[in-house]
Amino acid sequence: MYGIEQLLVELATRLASIEAVNAFFRDPRTTARVVGVLIAIPAGMLGSFLLLRGMALTSDAISHTVLLGIVVAFIIMTRFFRMEPDLSSPWLIIGAAGAGVVTVILTELVQASGLMKQDAALGLAFPFLFALAVIFVARYVENVHMDEDAVMVGEIGVAWANTNSHPIGDYESVVITADDPRAEIVRRCVNCVRDQINPRDPAAEFIEVCSNCGEYSPGEAYRAGFTTVRPVLVYWPKSVTVALVMALVASLFIAIFFKELKITTFDPELARSLGYRPTALNYALMVVVSLVAVGAFDAVGSILVIAFFIIPAATAYLLTNRLSRMVALSAALGSAGAFWGYDLARGRLFGVLPLPGDWDTSISASMVIMMMVLFVVVLLASPRSGLVAVWARRRRQRRTFVDMVLLGHLDHHINRVFSRESLEAHIGWQPEKLAAVLDRLERSGRIEIDAGRINISRRGHTSLAAFRASTT
Amino acid sequence: MAHQGEHNRMTDNNGGGGNAALLALEIEDLTVAYHSKPAIWDVDLTVPQGVLMALVGPNGAGKSTLIKAVLGLIPRAAGSVSVFGKPYERARDLVGYVPQRGSVDWDFPTTVLDVVTMGLYGGLGLLKRPGKRERELAMYALEQVSLQDFAGRQISQLSGGQQQRTFLARALVQDARLYLMDEPFAAVDAVTERAIVTILKELQHRQRTVVVVHHDLQTVTDYFDWTTLLNVEIVASGPTDTTFTEENLRKTYGGSIATVNAIAGGDS
Ligand SMILES: Nc1ncnc2c1ncn2[C@@H]1O[C@H](COP(=O)(O)OP(=O)(O)OP(=O)(O)O)[C@@H](O)[C@H]1O
Ligand SMILES: [Mg+2]
Repeated sequence: MYGIEQLLVELATRLASIEAVNAFFRDPRTTARVVGVLIAIPAGMLGSFLLLRGMALTSDAISHTVLLGIVVAFIIMTRFFRMEPDLSSPWLIIGAAGAGVVTVILTELVQASGLMKQDAALGLAFPFLFALAVIFVARYVENVHMDEDAVMVGEIGVAWANTNSHPIGDYESVVITADDPRAEIVRRCVNCVRDQINPRDPAAEFIEVCSNCGEYSPGEAYRAGFTTVRPVLVYWPKSVTVALVMALVASLFIAIFFKELKITTFDPELARSLGYRPTALNYALMVVVSLVAVGAFDAVGSILVIAFFIIPAATAYLLTNRLSRMVALSAALGSAGAFWGYDLARGRLFGVLPLPGDWDTSISASMVIMMMVLFVVVLLASPRSGLVAVWARRRRQRRTFVDMVLLGHLDHHINRVFSRESLEAHIGWQPEKLAAVLDRLERSGRIEIDAGRINISRRGHTSLAAFRASTT
Repeated sequence: MAHQGEHNRMTDNNGGGGNAALLALEIEDLTVAYHSKPAIWDVDLTVPQGVLMALVGPNGAGKSTLIKAVLGLIPRAAGSVSVFGKPYERARDLVGYVPQRGSVDWDFPTTVLDVVTMGLYGGLGLLKRPGKRERELAMYALEQVSLQDFAGRQISQLSGGQQQRTFLARALVQDARLYLMDEPFAAVDAVTERAIVTILKELQHRQRTVVVVHHDLQTVTDYFDWTTLLNVEIVASGPTDTTFTEENLRKTYGGSIATVNAIAGGDS
């Protein structure tokens, strides 16, 4: 990750000045938005496939169980390799991807027993893995910064502050060895703890150790006072790198396997008969979902990740009939939700409308709310299947229908003379309803009312004939 | 089969050409089980090239299972399958499959043309997208089933019969030599049924082999020149004249003779 980050820094400083890059990410607003959008894009695209495969809840399960992968990898790293990985370490990410796959395998095992349906199988498998993770954290992971808030809603708001500093230009890193004059040598009692004795006790034995030996990056060396050369540094938020890499991996995966994902999602049997491997592709998809879930975990916590996968995809589903458009729209809607979500957290709806009071709230939660707002807007207003459009269409159809009932009646008894009163008696409608229908028909010229006598006009005949033809 | 050795020798020179004696489908000792309960049991079946065959049997007889096992969609417990003398894995592009209509999500965001184009995905390599040529072929297949006016429709806005014809077009576009169709006549009206039969006969005319799971015993003799009766095991298989007899039907369907007579009408 660090190497990739150096490349990104290199690229960014080519495109803009160092000061501009630093100023860009020092603004909590921009960093939060960049991270949010970088999570929303891959999650939205992958979410489209999850939704269509009936695996919406799988993304929720995976976003929880990645914690187990992270923790297990963390324990292995610290116990056996004496390293201190953080969430952007590739080992933790591999661990997380593994946990995602284990979740899916476990779910499928339970399901294959034939005793449980898929939702129940998920409900059994993922709390188990999550519970294991919680116990491992409590039991084996000390002083690791993993508080409940972080697990709940993530740390996107402080993403700007968690940076790697990259020196720009040729600065040497500084190595301090024990014989260096700058080395600090301290005496440490080797048997005090074991024998429970005071360091002043004559039985205490001491060794000398160097407390500050090691390799220092130019930035660290300057801060520690080992050098007076102050390097030019770019402070690059770690979560931007993680999210960007995950977004690239997911986009590449979808771009390369779009056709395969499409056919195995729509018709796995056809796919298999044509020589595709739906099972292998399914696991590949789960690995990519897990990767994106880890990237998202850091920023938005494990509970809200599912929203990034599913809400934009569901919104896009209402808007289009084409899979490719659904995938693109889902990414766009997710990004919009993440972008405006930041504003909402700071009290501005859609970035402009100020909300009353002192508004300063969870960024990730606000992003989810914003995605939901977009969903509801589309649900109501989508031109094709939106509730408003459907309601308007129904209303129109209902009106046409009552109009035609009345016209049909006039036509059927063409030789009779009708007045409002006789019609009312015949058709049996409320006077107001009858008046409204007559009014509409007269205004459109489909009936003529002549001294209280109601006659169907030529246009009325045409309209009735057209209706009859369209319904048979 | 008596000519086993001969068939094997002939099938060695691959599936191409118009070799009349070549078998389109050869199944030996095929057993398939779900959870150790056999759905089909030691099935031997040979389908000569160029026949239009009905696969007939009661619900749960294993007809769908047989077809899926041929296509490698479910694992075989025992036995072997060869298509034009080759294992299915090497003869994929020779086979077209029309699944039962209920097997996909009809609310999937895709159009009729798009679904038909999927029939051509087998011939596209990795990273290749279907292009103009594929769309033209798909459009031509849609014309054959008279659905050209529905090309741009979302698939849920089709009637049951139109959905069935979409599947048929998707198989036609593959230009396969052997077609396996699972109940293409389910839930279609008389007009659509006629249209589908015409397409099937046309396929046969072009030397294609077609295997159709069929439930309507009344029409078997009209539509098909070859018949296989299946009920977990093969009851009979051969030309419809000699296979589709009252005796065999009774063996297949069990139950009372009256029932079988009633469903088969006066055909046999
Ligand atoms: N996925 C499955 N899991 C377990 N058993 C199955 C499965 N699919 C089919 N079976 C069983 O295998 C047997 C054969 O089923 P199959 O679907 O092949 O029958 P069919 O002849 O196609 O019937 P139909 O006429 O109803 O379509 C049945 O007893 C069925 O219950
Ligand atoms: Mg069946």
